[in-house]
Amino acid sequence: MIDVILQAFASIVFDPVTLGLMLVGTLAGILAGAIPGFTIAMGVILTLPFTFGMTAIQGLATMLGVFVGGFSGGLMSCMLTGIPGTPSSVATTFDGFPLVRSGKPGLALGLGLWSSFFGGMISAVILVALAPQLAFLGLEFGPWDYFSLIIFALTITVSLSGGNIVKGLIAGLLGLFAATVGEDEINGVARFTFGFDEFRQGFAFLPVLIGLFAFSQLLTDVEDGKRAKSPLMEKSGTLVRVEHRQAIAIILKRWINLFRSSFIGIFTGILPAAGGSISNILAYDQAKKASKNRSNFGKGEYDGIVAPEAANNATAGGALIMMMALGIPGDIVTAVMLGALMIHNIIPGPTFIQDEPLLAYGVFIAFFVAHFFMVGLQAFSLRIFLLVTKIPMYVLASVILAYCAIGVFALHNVVFDIWVMFFFGVIGYFMKKLGFPLAPMILGVVLGKLAELNLARATGISDDLLLFFLRPWSLFFLIMAVISVIFPFYQDAEKGSKFSNIYVPASVFALAIPLLFMESITRLIIALIMIGISFYFVYKSFIKNKALIN
Amino acid sequence: MKINKDTIVSIFLLIFCGIMINSSYYIEDPGYQGMKASFWPRIILWLLSIMSLVMLVKSFADNVDSIKAGSFSKINYMQFKNALICFGMFIFFLTFLEYLGMLIGGILFVFGLLTFLGGFSIKKSTNHLIISVVTIGVMWSIFTFGLKVILPEGELIRIW
Repeated sequence: MIDVILQAFASIVFDPVTLGLMLVGTLAGILAGAIPGFTIAMGVILTLPFTFGMTAIQGLATMLGVFVGGFSGGLMSCMLTGIPGTPSSVATTFDGFPLVRSGKPGLALGLGLWSSFFGGMISAVILVALAPQLAFLGLEFGPWDYFSLIIFALTITVSLSGGNIVKGLIAGLLGLFAATVGEDEINGVARFTFGFDEFRQGFAFLPVLIGLFAFSQLLTDVEDGKRAKSPLMEKSGTLVRVEHRQAIAIILKRWINLFRSSFIGIFTGILPAAGGSISNILAYDQAKKASKNRSNFGKGEYDGIVAPEAANNATAGGALIMMMALGIPGDIVTAVMLGALMIHNIIPGPTFIQDEPLLAYGVFIAFFVAHFFMVGLQAFSLRIFLLVTKIPMYVLASVILAYCAIGVFALHNVVFDIWVMFFFGVIGYFMKKLGFPLAPMILGVVLGKLAELNLARATGISDDLLLFFLRPWSLFFLIMAVISVIFPFYQDAEKGSKFSNIYVPASVFALAIPLLFMESITRLIIALIMIGISFYFVYKSFIKNKALIN
Repeated sequence: MKINKDTIVSIFLLIFCGIMINSSYYIEDPGYQGMKASFWPRIILWLLSIMSLVMLVKSFADNVDSIKAGSFSKINYMQFKNALICFGMFIFFLTFLEYLGMLIGGILFVFGLLTFLGGFSIKKSTNHLIISVVTIGVMWSIFTFGLKVILPEGELIRIW
């Protein structure tokens, strides 16, 4: 084990090429995160074509650099200009920008930077500790359980991606359908090809993903002609010196907030579709609730910067846990990383860490190292950021559209892939216009083949479809899927209504049932605790209602 | 009864599902044991049909963003102008990729797009030309020489 870690460490730290690629990746990530209209996912997608010629570990390390850098890049624009670079840094703006305006820009940047660093480090430790354990758990899964897990991943994506749940489900189903086009992997039979030979290979998921996400986003960015012609930012901020020592001292004094926010970030990262955009707001909200100086929030409170920045970087570690342990991408970024691994004929799954220990531990090490690069590059990237913000969006969009075409072609050296990207780019653009979330569709495309394969394996082993409900893990994930579909209704329900009172205890109770049948003392104890909690919730709401009636 | 965007989309989706469900009956059955090739897509398509039907019913109940039946005058087509330019340029680029190749085609695509989106003047066009030549040139060099990807050369260069 130790020798594998040392080997992985050497393959990253003592390889100047990998280090150089990570350095460039982190810088690109910081800039992608800092530019409004660009997202971290887009940064990682655009990096992908460059990784084709690299080894698997080099490619993943570069993408991790972009991923980690992106989270901290958002803080530069939100603090210096008041405009969040990415959705993951929205909450940082609430206190970061006022602190800058109060004459402490160096301290504000330092707080954001080091909170991101510490948050990332905490999540890196959890990633290393939890991913192998979760992978062991994954070894218990049969095809029934895997199929149900995928259904859960899709439904939670639908419920958390915002907007209309019906439209979310339609988007997810369209994604699953797109994955069925071409030769079926089980029987080798052509489906929905309509006589076109190009369709027999199916739609490669990376052109689909780039089209749906990057291409459609660029079209949206240039939609407003006037805005597209003006520089990316009217106020591009000024160069400032980061106050490192003071910032570290302040953060360490607020270690409870730091740990709480980091754990919020890790947890939201593990949940499919709930990325940094949710975790930073959740962490900010909790920090405000726990603070003695609530009235200072929104006026440059230090805790208001520490919480969202620690949380959004910690989300990255959480998202990697699911991909590394179970091979299920939780968001677009990890879906792209999964694609990068597949290009190198590596299929992540529960046995991934055992089968490819060097690569797996290399990812862990790269995740650590990327955080050091992020801190080291901040001052330099600030200068580039000030230059980039002067470029108009239409210039960037035009160049990146062409780049997408070149990158997609490089995937399989087939022009048809560019057509696929274009086709899905148009679909993605209009779907966005019509209020359909794209994340469920993307995950549908990515997970569709895996879902079908596991369904085929399950039905091949036994005709009994009841096994999906009788196997504890499968039942657990199906219950989770139902809970996640109902979740938006719970959010909309009036506080104190019967439905909102019953939702949480009923969900906890329902989840405890499969745990009771898992033949493990620990899980039995957890199940009993969960049942106890659910009864406590019911009792509490009963007492509350009684008091209201009296 | 009022028709809104969701009504039109759900009807379109229902037609799409109908066509695809029908096509699924033409999927070959090699007679192997286990799950048939048409089983999984059919499940998806039936679920999609049900969801589209739910959306259709909901759209009738929902008056927000509605437009009168048969009249699309309230849709602002101008908001799609730039997107349509991008679509048009991209189709042009892809159609002529075989003849122009990635280098020339890419430069023309970026230059055309910059001109359409950014406006035309001698100064602007010069800048646009420099940007398109430099950016595509650099990308083409990275992929061709750095990543050893053989990008489409184009018949035009071959004739030269």
